[in-house]
Amino acid sequence: MRVFGPKELQTDIIEKGLCSGCGGCVDICPYFRSHRGKTAMLFPCTLEKGSCYAFCPKAEVDLDELSMRFFGRTFDGSPLGHHLSIQISRAGGRVSSPNFQAGGTVSALMAFALMKGIVEAAVLTDREKLLPLPRLVKDPSEVLRCASSKYSAAPTLSAFNRAVREGIDRIGVVATPCQALALAQLRSNPLQKADFKDPAALVVGLFCTWSLDFRAFKDYLAGKMDPSIIRKVDIPPPPAEIMEIYDDQGKREIPLAEVRQLVLPSCSFCLDMTAEFSDLSVGVLEGRPDLNTLIIRTERGMEIVSQARKEGFLFTEDLPEENLKHLAWAAANKKKRALVKIKAEGLFNTGDGRRAVLRFSDEAAGAILAGEDGK
Amino acid sequence: MTAGAKKRKEAPRLLMGNEAIARGALEAGIQIASGYPGTPSSEIIENLSRSAAERNIYVEWSTNEKVATEVAAAASFAGLRALCVMKQNGVNVASDFLLHLAHSGTRGGMVLVSCDDPGALSSVNEGDSRPFARILEVPLLEPGDFQEAKDMTKWAFELSEEIRNFVFLRSVTRMSHASGSVIIGDLPAETRRPAFRHKGSLLDPDNGPVISLFPGIPELKHGPQQEKLRRAADIFEKSPFNTYQGPEKPELLIVTSSACSLYSREAVHLLGLKDRVGILKMGTTWPLPPELVKRHLAGTDRILFVEEVMPFLEENVKILAAEAATDLGIKYFYGKKSGHIPSVGELNPDLVLSALRKILNLPSEKDPSDFLKKAESIAASAAPHRELTFCPGCPHRASYWSIHNAIELDGREGFVCGDIGCYTLGFLPCGFGTLKTIHSMGSGTGIAGGFGQIRRFAMNQPILAVCGDSTFFHAAIPALINAVHHRSPITVIVLDNRGTAMTGFQPHPGLAVSAMGEQAVDIDMAEICRALGARVEIRDPFDLEETQRTLNLMMEEAGGAQVLILRQACGLSPEKKGKKLFEVKVDESVCVGENCGCNRLCTRIFRCPGLLWDGQKKTARIDEVICAGCGVCAGICPSGAITKREAQA
Ligand SMILES: Cc1cc2nc3c(=O)[nH]c(=O)nc-3n(C[C@H](O)[C@H](O)[C@H](O)COP(=O)(O)OP(=O)(O)OC[C@H]3O[C@@H](n4cnc5c(N)ncnc54)[C@H](O)[C@@H]3O)c2cc1C
Ligand code: SF4
Ligand code: SF4
Repeated sequence: MRVFGPKELQTDIIEKGLCSGCGGCVDICPYFRSHRGKTAMLFPCTLEKGSCYAFCPKAEVDLDELSMRFFGRTFDGSPLGHHLSIQISRAGGRVSSPNFQAGGTVSALMAFALMKGIVEAAVLTDREKLLPLPRLVKDPSEVLRCASSKYSAAPTLSAFNRAVREGIDRIGVVATPCQALALAQLRSNPLQKADFKDPAALVVGLFCTWSLDFRAFKDYLAGKMDPSIIRKVDIPPPPAEIMEIYDDQGKREIPLAEVRQLVLPSCSFCLDMTAEFSDLSVGVLEGRPDLNTLIIRTERGMEIVSQARKEGFLFTEDLPEENLKHLAWAAANKKKRALVKIKAEGLFNTGDGRRAVLRFSDEAAGAILAGEDGK
Repeated sequence: MTAGAKKRKEAPRLLMGNEAIARGALEAGIQIASGYPGTPSSEIIENLSRSAAERNIYVEWSTNEKVATEVAAAASFAGLRALCVMKQNGVNVASDFLLHLAHSGTRGGMVLVSCDDPGALSSVNEGDSRPFARILEVPLLEPGDFQEAKDMTKWAFELSEEIRNFVFLRSVTRMSHASGSVIIGDLPAETRRPAFRHKGSLLDPDNGPVISLFPGIPELKHGPQQEKLRRAADIFEKSPFNTYQGPEKPELLIVTSSACSLYSREAVHLLGLKDRVGILKMGTTWPLPPELVKRHLAGTDRILFVEEVMPFLEENVKILAAEAATDLGIKYFYGKKSGHIPSVGELNPDLVLSALRKILNLPSEKDPSDFLKKAESIAASAAPHRELTFCPGCPHRASYWSIHNAIELDGREGFVCGDIGCYTLGFLPCGFGTLKTIHSMGSGTGIAGGFGQIRRFAMNQPILAVCGDSTFFHAAIPALINAVHHRSPITVIVLDNRGTAMTGFQPHPGLAVSAMGEQAVDIDMAEICRALGARVEIRDPFDLEETQRTLNLMMEEAGGAQVLILRQACGLSPEKKGKKLFEVKVDESVCVGENCGCNRLCTRIFRCPGLLWDGQKKTARIDEVICAGCGVCAGICPSGAITKREAQA
């Protein structure tokens, strides 16, 4: 993997609007900070190679290399990525909260991992009013406070970086696909530090099609309601085409077409819908907003799921073929759309020393482009 | 100077130019002195304030220069002698009132001293205040040495009373701040009893109301004013302050004034041109005494003007020459217009030397002195090169750090409009390049208010302004009122370092002490702003996190004008100087240094002079001698390598 420095991160990614605000480069050093969902470089840093660039999920990401590192094979472009099994799930009887976004699988798993000492601390995403707020949680009961999806960009990984600096060496993370990708790069020790040890003990990925620009989202809502009293935001499955917003006065619906105008430009460069570089990936089950789709990708993930199920933290059942097909169709569409975009911008597998967003084999690229057609 | 003030007739004393001016004013029997601090003028008021008790005079640092001239004028209207002091930029501020005052005339002698700063050694520009004398139509005097500085000041009061108008006296940095020997005179034993007589007729200059204009009938005031100026010109014809040195019919006549007359003498002496070049040193530079000037023009064909900043003498003499062309014939003029004298910056003997060489076709052998170069090379070898920066422990560095970070974090390309004070340096790396406009005092706030209004045309950049505490009272208040009144969404940051720090800690209306050390009413700027209806926050700039957080919130919520007061005394303030609040240390084992994770943030970006980079150990360290012990850098180190511990008393 090619690693450059902060200057290149600033010019290639932040200034070009490719930053997804994941927080991968934040809180490593004093130069990159996050504010209201946006990553900013405070002062110039002159290093030629930096963790900031190395971790960024939009800068010189080599998917073959990462796939080899985590799954022992090159990236093949299959819609849902490497996995062992896909199930339907929800939180078991031992955990419950009115705040679960869907089935509560994510919160249940993280609470379980903390309780069992599988992870010492969990990196989660809380909120202050509408603003997503990274949080490092050590008490299982606090996991539930962070439940529910915040649909705007969150610098969640900054809390991971902070945890590493605090010396915590078994960290759990709940991450969107771009955050999980940044984390995967961090975990493969790109600067080849001698004393490196992978600090991530459990990575739970979230499905994600896009996230919103915080400031734009807030300004948009401010014209319609008081964003400070919002309790929950949800996107019911198609064909609803609405976003539901719950506040003290009940539920409001806003057209999804308007919300899509507020999506981060960076998201159109993102191939991954199901957080492929994680132990477990969780989304909402199509047509059943009270249940989750759970993709089990690693042995570690498999082990935790079976323990959690045994101890009443998780409930699972088989996923019907119909759902699986639809999920794969949606994921393949996202891959194709993004790859077409990245290629059109000339940021795929670049030569002549030019810096790329993404690198992987032409074979896999061919497979993706030959796949499903997006709307 | 005060100690020996009563002793009489003694040997010459070594006085600074500003001390000589103050002495002259005392000898003239002033009872009131007012001013606004500004280098190179400040020592005049400071000297007088030290003599205030002994001489029973009233001295004040006024809120601004316009107010200062109004205060002095009042004393004059009541028949007292009054002095008013400022630097050249201050004359711009005072000029509105001065134009009125020149029309209404004065009673007790009133002298306005402006100390100009050619070369802008300690100013943001090198404006020339002399043209104001022409615009205002009042007499202008320029002392050419230290004795004259005293004598001329004293005499200026007599002239003022003779023509019943104020007199403008202009000094320059090299006159005000250098020292020379001065024979002092007596101090008057008597003081005048003030009375403002106003019951006479409207046109009675001694007993009537003092008004500047009769609407529609300019002859009534403007006419007499011009008559006063003609009287002054007559008096100037015989003034001993205009001197001539040289042959009766010189090959070249130098016309000069002020410190430039010293440079001219030096140059003529060095080139041994005493018998070929004459020097007409003018002390009364406006209005020029026409007969005297014409007499000297008649003796030569070639004239060189040696003066700084504006071609003031040059233009005025040329006008006289044109008027007298039928008698005098054609003359050749050299000066700024011809390019023989630089049109900007300070002059020095070298520059005069080269002008003389060119005009007189002298061989350009190695300068006998090579004055400037020698001085520069000595200075360079003795002093280490230092960039312009804030002092160690300066609150401005901390303030700009937070302002800069808040703006970068905000991410909407916000910017700060600034003005004049130590904090002007905020446009340089020491202030992280934060200031984006810099103009006259208070104008940062006014300009920001204007930017705030154009936000309505879909500009979403956050708009900030900074001003100092003294500047707040001086000129920012009207601009702030304008912004509040028109709901301009700006954030005004007052960098409140508890005094007029840049010019030497003169008090201002926010402090409970006057120029004479008396109890004064301290005006609470926060309450003023609140009363205007602005949201006000007060923070300690040394608390970096809190300051930045507050600013980000304010930028986010800017609906109308709001004020953030960053209060922390200047590192050189009397209460802080030499006292360390904290022992600051760098733990070398923790310092990340040049590695990823820091890359020398403290010595590469923050750059307090108290922090040094140890190139061998590759870690930062504290220079104990320079460190002021403010402890701010402990808050910026990302690895916690810089620690602070409260210093033992
Ligand atoms: C921006 C975004 C877009 C999404 N898009 C889709 C989609 O298109 N299709 C789909 O099936 N599912 C999507 N999801 C996932 C879905 O909303 C649920 O998070 C997921 O199904 C888990 O449900 P749960 O009930 O187990 O979650 P919960 O138990 O409620 O836990 C939610 C977890 O999400 C974390 N979290 C919340 N917001 C963020 C954020 N912005 N960044 C990182 N972590 C966060 C919290 O830390 C919490 O641990 C999206 C989630 C987000 C945050
Ligand atoms: S995408 Fe993440 S790592 Fe890349 S610049 Fe943005 S915040 Fe930093
Ligand atoms: S900021 Fe801290 S870590 Fe960086 S060089 Fe200075 S002392 Fe060392």
